[in-house]
Amino acid sequence: MATTATISISSDIAPGFGGISNTMTLTKAGALTDIEETIGFSRRKLAATTAVDIIRMATELVDTTATTTAAKVYVRNMGDGKGSFDKSTYVKISIGASDGTMQEIGKLYGGDWMLFPVTAADDMDVVAAPENNNAVVLEYTMFYE
Amino acid sequence: MATTTAAVTLTSDLLSDNMSVSASTTCTKAGTTADGLDMMDYRYLDIASGTNWDLSNADNSLNKNKANKVYIANHSTDETYYVIITIDATVIGRLYAGDWMFIPWGAEDATADIEIQGATGTNTICYALFHEGQTLHAGGDTV
Repeated sequence: MATTATISISSDIAPGFGGISNTMTLTKAGALTDIEETIGFSRRKLAATTAVDIIRMATELVDTTATTTAAKVYVRNMGDGKGSFDKSTYVKISIGASDGTMQEIGKLYGGDWMLFPVTAADDMDVVAAPENNNAVVLEYTMFYE
Repeated sequence: MATTTAAVTLTSDLLSDNMSVSASTTCTKAGTTADGLDMMDYRYLDIASGTNWDLSNADNSLNKNKANKVYIANHSTDETYYVIITIDATVIGRLYAGDWMFIPWGAEDATADIEIQGATGTNTICYALFHEGQTLHAGGDTV
């Protein structure tokens, strides 16, 4: 069983830039064995600026003491969830705990997506904080060991 | 305006019904709907085990709180090779051989550097930063 992710980036910023295309197969840390677990695909509407854990490692069936995993997280700002993407507002995505210390990764504007590795350690949750109180929908998933 | 698009397709057969997710976004400047990112850095480099480097330096030369996008890929072929990615001393995760990541990066303050540490072997890294501009350091040569 395999999980793959393919990225394609095109840009006309620099003449001659041929773009980026890359596919990865999600495997366990330091091995060629496919990752076998996922939290499934989630969709959540937020309507307040309060920071919330969208993926709380302690409640997932992961080894929360591990820092050696090859887990991957995908998050997308789906705008209002009905097909309208607002590029002028964002949801800040951080690593840490919503009730503790967090480190901002970046801001997902309407329609933007991100895919990144996480440690899946106990205090390294994925935290989302909308810019304003307007309803915004996030889709996300995590694949882990 | 410059146009940069980033698309992803994520497929998995772990569940009883296959998962297939596709998304594409046009990378625009912070808070704008039509003004695309118009600057980029693109590098290909080796990161040796035990060394630690700023891939993206968020010092005062880079505009703050923007909608920058960062792509990092580990092109190593030995599956035991990996690098550790941190932002402002917080470990985000490990990129093993063959892995890639794509994130927004606000560079919210001068310490929010994206750092890379080679953990095993010499890792070949591809890195791209699409951003909103930075102040170049003044040159000292007189010609």
